[in-house]
Amino acid sequence: MTQRISKSKRFYMMNPIVQFFKFIWLSIKIMLVVAGGHGGTRKVNN
Amino acid sequence: MSKIVILGAGISGHVAASHLRRKLSKQHEVLVVSPNSNYQWIPSNIWVGIGRMKSEEILFPLAPLYKKKNIGYKQALVTTFHPEGNTESTKPYVNIKYVNGELKGKTEKVTYDYLINATGPKLAFDMTQGLNPGTNKAYSVCTYSHAEHAWHALNDLIQQMKQGKKAKILIGTGHAKSTCQGAAFEYILNVEQELRRHNVRDKAEVIWIANEYKLGDFGMDGMLLSYGNNIMKSSEMVEMVFEDRGIKWIIGAGVNKIEDGIAHYETLDGEYKSETYDFAMLIPAFSGHGFKAFDKNNTEITEKLFKGFMLVDADYTPKPYEEWSVQDWPETYQNPSYKNIFAPGIAFAPPHAISKPRVNKNGTAISPAPPRTGMPSGITAKLVADNIIDIINGKKDVHHKGSLGNMGAACIASAGYGMTKGSGVSITTYPIVPDYNKYPDTQGRQLGKTFGEIGLAGHWLKLALHYAFIYKAKMKPFWWLIPE
Ligand SMILES: Cc1cc2nc3c(=O)[nH]c(=O)nc-3n(C[C@H](O)[C@H](O)[C@H](O)COP(=O)(O)OP(=O)(O)OC[C@H]3O[C@@H](n4cnc5c(N)ncnc54)[C@H](O)[C@@H]3O)c2cc1C
Repeated sequence: MTQRISKSKRFYMMNPIVQFFKFIWLSIKIMLVVAGGHGGTRKVNN
Repeated sequence: MSKIVILGAGISGHVAASHLRRKLSKQHEVLVVSPNSNYQWIPSNIWVGIGRMKSEEILFPLAPLYKKKNIGYKQALVTTFHPEGNTESTKPYVNIKYVNGELKGKTEKVTYDYLINATGPKLAFDMTQGLNPGTNKAYSVCTYSHAEHAWHALNDLIQQMKQGKKAKILIGTGHAKSTCQGAAFEYILNVEQELRRHNVRDKAEVIWIANEYKLGDFGMDGMLLSYGNNIMKSSEMVEMVFEDRGIKWIIGAGVNKIEDGIAHYETLDGEYKSETYDFAMLIPAFSGHGFKAFDKNNTEITEKLFKGFMLVDADYTPKPYEEWSVQDWPETYQNPSYKNIFAPGIAFAPPHAISKPRVNKNGTAISPAPPRTGMPSGITAKLVADNIIDIINGKKDVHHKGSLGNMGAACIASAGYGMTKGSGVSITTYPIVPDYNKYPDTQGRQLGKTFGEIGLAGHWLKLALHYAFIYKAKMKPFWWLIPE
C-alpha cells in the first residue's frame, strides 16, 4: 500500500460536515450536467 | 388506437413503458414482454455482492405494478421478429415464448403498431471458456442472483481468512472485449473495504484485471477531468485510488479461459499468461441475443434489423479510429428499414467502440466495448417514447434526439459502503462519446462538466439515487419529476 492520499485530504474526504456540503454541491452539479439537456450532433446548433 | 409493445423490462424498457402509459390516453395499449418477474435496480447489485444489501431491497415484482397502472405484461421471451407480418396479414408481430406459470413453454404471436426493443445485452459468459457464474471460483454481479451467490462465496473466503488463510482476489473483465469496467471498479473497491471491515485485509492480495489499455479507460477512451483545482487524467485518478488501497493491477489483458482458480489471459504484448485466485468476479462479454427476423414470405431478413444488437440510425460504415466522429452515433434509435421499431438502452448496435481498438501481434483484439450506462439508457428510452407519442399524435418526423455525443453522464461509483465509512468516486462526463472537434484540447470533453470527486458524499449520493430511482420505477406520486 502506498499512501497516495494525504491525511488532510483524507480528513476532507471523510468528514461528514464537509461532505454534507459536498453532497449538496455534487447533487446540484450532477443535476446540471444530467438535466442540462441532450440533442443530436448532425446539424449545426443542435 | 395504437398498440406499443416493449420488449424487456430493464431500465430502458421500464422507463419507456412508464412514460408511454403516463402520457398516452387509455385507448392506446402499452404492453411489456419480458422474462423477468422483478424489476431490479442493477447498480445496487454491487452492495448485494458484498452482503450489505439484500436482494429484496433492490427489486420489486412487476406484475402488480403493471396491473395497477394499466400496462399489459407477458412474462415471456421474444424469439423472432416479423416486421412485415406474414402472408395472411401485413400487421407486424413478434413471436414470444412464455417462461413462467401455466403458459410456460407456450408460444404466441404478439402484433404491434410500434415496437421498442429494450432487451439489453446477453450476458455472454459462454464467450469465455470456463466462465460461468458460480463455477471455477468465478462469480458475477450482473444480476441480483449472481450478486447473492458472489457474496456467499466471498463471505466463506472471509471466514477462512479469519482462520489465517491467505487469499488472492481477482476482479475485472472476463473477456478481451468486455465492457462495464465501471461495475467491476466499484466492486473491487467495495470488496477491499469489506476486507478491512472484517480485519482480514492483510490476508488478501487484491488484483484488478482488465482489457483496458490504461487504468480508468472505462470503455470511454479514458477522460481528462477536473479534480478540485487540478486537471487529471482518469488513469491517474484510478491509479491514485488503487495505490492508496493497495490494489495491484493487470491491464491490456484479454481473459480467454477460466479453470478452477486460474484465469488465463493474453496480453497486448502478445504473451499468454495466467493468474491464480481464490475468488474472482469477472464481467463477461455482452452480446446481442441472436434474434432472427423474417419478412412476410418468411424469408430471413435478420441483417435488416440486427448486427449483433439492433440496427438504428447510426453510421455503421467501417472506418479507422482516426475517422470516428460523434456524428456516427445514433440520435433517435429508430431502425432505418422499419420506422416503427426502436432500440434504446444497450439494445442498439453501436457504430463502433469509443476506446481506441487495439490488436496484439497474435491478431487478438483486446480493448473495451462501448458502455451504455443506466442514465443514457433511461434518457434514450424516454426520447423514444416521446417520439412514438408524437407520431401517434400526427407528427411526421421524430424530433426528440439524444446522441451519446451530445449527452452528459454521471457515474457515481461506490468505493465502499457505510453512512460514515463509505466512499464514492463521482465522475461526470460530457459528452459521453468524446467530440474531438468541439473539444480538441481537452480530449474531446468539456472540462467543468467532466469532473471527478472522491469521498463520503459520493456514497450518500449513490444511496440517494438508489432510493430515488426505485421510487421512480415504482411509479409513486410525481415519479416523473425525477430525471432519468
Ligand atoms: C453490476 C452492474 C452495475 C452497474 N452500475 C451502474 C451504475 O452505477 N450506474 C449506471 O448508470 N449504470 C450501471 N450499470 C449499467 C446499467 O445497469 C445498464 O446500463 C442498464 O441496465 C441498461 O439498461 P437496458 O434496459 O438497456 O438493459 P437491461 O437492464 O439489461 O434490461 C434488459 C431487459 O430485457 C429483458 N430481456 C432479455 N432478453 C429478452 C428477450 N428475449 N425478450 C424479452 N425481454 C428480454 C431482460 O430480462 C431485461 O428485463 C451497471 C451494470 C451492472 C451489470
